[in-house]
Amino acid sequence: MTMKPIRVLIAKPGLDGHDRGALIIAQALRDHGMEVIYTGLRQSAVQIARAAIQEDVDVVGLSSLSGAHKSLFPKVVEALENENAADIPVIGGGVIPAEDIPYLEEHGVKKIFTSGSPTDAIAVYIKQLFEGQAIESPKKIAHIGIAVESIDLSLPFYQHTLGLSLEAVEEVESEQVKVAFLKIGETMFELLEPLSESSPIQSFLTKKGPGVHHIALEVDDIHKRLEQYQSQGIKLIHETPKDGAHDSQIAFLHPKAANGVLFELSQPKE
Amino acid sequence: MTKPYDELKQEWEKDVEMTTQRFPERKEAFQTSSELPINRIYTPDQGNASYEEKIGFPGQYPYTRGIQPTMYRSRYWTMRQYAGFGSAEETNERFRYLLDQGQTGLSVAFDLPTQIGYDSDDPMADGEVGKVGVAIDSLHDMEQLFDQIPLDKVSTSMTINAPASILLAMYIAVGEKQGVSPAQLTGTIQNDILKEYIARGTYIYPPKPSMRLITDIFAYCQENLPKFNTISISGYHIREAGSTAVQEVAFTIANGMAYVDAAIEAGLEVDQFAPRLAFFFNAHNQFFEEAAKFRAARRMWASIMKDHYGAQNPKSWKLRFHTQTGGSTLTAQQPDNNIVRVTLQALAAVMGGTQSLHTNSRDEALALPTEESARIALRTQQIIANESGVADTIDPLGGSYYVEALTDQIEQEANAYIERIQQIGGAVQAVEEGFMQREIHAAAYEAQKRMESNEDIVVGLNEYQVEEEIHADLLRVDEALEKSQIEKTKHVRETRDQPAVDESLRKLREAAQLNQNVMPHIVEAVKVYATVGEIANVLRDEFGEYTGM
Repeated sequence: MTMKPIRVLIAKPGLDGHDRGALIIAQALRDHGMEVIYTGLRQSAVQIARAAIQEDVDVVGLSSLSGAHKSLFPKVVEALENENAADIPVIGGGVIPAEDIPYLEEHGVKKIFTSGSPTDAIAVYIKQLFEGQAIESPKKIAHIGIAVESIDLSLPFYQHTLGLSLEAVEEVESEQVKVAFLKIGETMFELLEPLSESSPIQSFLTKKGPGVHHIALEVDDIHKRLEQYQSQGIKLIHETPKDGAHDSQIAFLHPKAANGVLFELSQPKE
Repeated sequence: MTKPYDELKQEWEKDVEMTTQRFPERKEAFQTSSELPINRIYTPDQGNASYEEKIGFPGQYPYTRGIQPTMYRSRYWTMRQYAGFGSAEETNERFRYLLDQGQTGLSVAFDLPTQIGYDSDDPMADGEVGKVGVAIDSLHDMEQLFDQIPLDKVSTSMTINAPASILLAMYIAVGEKQGVSPAQLTGTIQNDILKEYIARGTYIYPPKPSMRLITDIFAYCQENLPKFNTISISGYHIREAGSTAVQEVAFTIANGMAYVDAAIEAGLEVDQFAPRLAFFFNAHNQFFEEAAKFRAARRMWASIMKDHYGAQNPKSWKLRFHTQTGGSTLTAQQPDNNIVRVTLQALAAVMGGTQSLHTNSRDEALALPTEESARIALRTQQIIANESGVADTIDPLGGSYYVEALTDQIEQEANAYIERIQQIGGAVQAVEEGFMQREIHAAAYEAQKRMESNEDIVVGLNEYQVEEEIHADLLRVDEALEKSQIEKTKHVRETRDQPAVDESLRKLREAAQLNQNVMPHIVEAVKVYATVGEIANVLRDEFGEYTGM
């Protein structure tokens, strides 16, 4: 962690003259303690890259509302590469349809904030980028959780029909469930059977019947990750880790934060 | 027997005290988007304005209730949807579709290179060709744009500012090819450069020569296009940049005064050009404040033209305006909700007595509108006109204690701003000093903070959210368009009479240097297919370029 303020270049590439958003972001980042340089309108990719280097900024933020982002944003990334400044991350915003985001990310734009993004989320993201706290990809899928009425009655399908081998069966007191692990490649199936009426698995079964319940992602930074998620306002079921099977540390994200999918973070015992 | 007024009021005040002790009101203080305080109730004893002096009848000074004696009882407002994207052929198709659907005027959106005086093959145009409007390089494109649209039958509004003279010249030339004389042409060019420096960004030249181009147009049109609106003094973009309703009115009228000053200085008679000045306002969500804003603007302009400039012709006093609903109020989230926002905004514009109206499409926070969305937007106006009955009496909000009080308040606050701008030395000076830009930015930032703290609720954005699928049904401008447009213009350059082009550009340069009206020379140049970029470049050479603050 450094005490030097983060320096940000906010730039308007192309001919678009709408700078309300750019100006608001610039001011909001200043309010977050950053030093912000605003280029003004109609900057070419090369001008932006040179300004970024001259001003010694840590990150470049691009804004475009004219629909030219697909051609303009990657050019700024390219210009930074040509000036040997590919280490300066480029983020962007404006009127950008969600379906264009993968293209922009493939072309080196680190992150796109679309219309309606709170300025706080942008500031938090930049802070994390610069403080080396950018979110790392989870290690792997730790397991896929499947809710069942009875482990005993379900096991034959997994063992005999699929030919998987049973790794372990244990009871997780805190969740009132009995779990069975079946290894598949480098991941596992976790069969979940409720131990009582108060088990969350029981209410899942009552509401939706047996089936896929959650996906667990293996991480090695569960505490830090939860803090980051919280500061970004991402909805969580568990704000701090709790004990899971195999002495792991686990926490669930709220499905509302993940388009209806229930994700578990799981950090195995050291 | 009914109790006397004072007794009733006292009883009510007592009731209020009791009630609020048990059930506090939703907020401690209520205010409009312009931070004007809103009272709990407005009553007859608050208005001390004289009806004859401040309100009057429609079609009578100071026009608070409207500029025509019968307003929408004679004819509805002009339904004028702004459209344009991609190539001239595509836009021509959309125009003819909209006319078929009952639209009554055209409104052309140009792409950014055209608006900033670059041809499609200019390196500066890279990636922007046809994106936010139609790409026009030469008269050839303009001929395609208005193909089979008789210019003596439609009125056309063109959102063009720094190169307004060039596009107007092309419109004149297309008209002549159709056998329509310039005197028959009706429509509007935006031609409002001051708000480009303040809020919209499509300037080319510095303020002084830009003001001269504008007065050249005034003078030329007075002679040749007497039915054409020579400028549309625009608060719309000021509001979109984040101003309050009060700032929108104040800065627009201050800009209007700067144009009147410039024209008088150029030797024009106020009553000759003032009747052709038009205005363009925004309509946001706060229904009463918006309706009151239009009423206040009309009254202010009437008094300024009559008393400050001594205009004699009542046509010079009348503030005629176009309204567009507020693009920045639309949300990308739950886009169908935007139809409801647009309805409220359109209704406010009609209550405010607008002469023409553009209603935004629900998907404009995501992309340019699809044909279906554009149709719903037009239908919204048609429903207000034909089904709601609001157009059947004039100024139905007139006499509302609240609306009259708000009209007065907006007028007062806006006049205070105008005085400050006059003290700075007028709008041109205030723009150069960045005064309006700073005021707008401060208001925009405050509004953003109010929204992020959930003090202001935007439905679907910071409250009442739902999980949504990615909206896939968006209008996309074909990426191949840029290339084909460049080819088209290349072909025009290869097949035109080059010596005639060179000669016309030489004459234009001379006129610019000698301070003669450039307009006739631009008309000659476009007729021999000189391009937008070539003409703008001649003027760039002579006038220089504006590079921002």
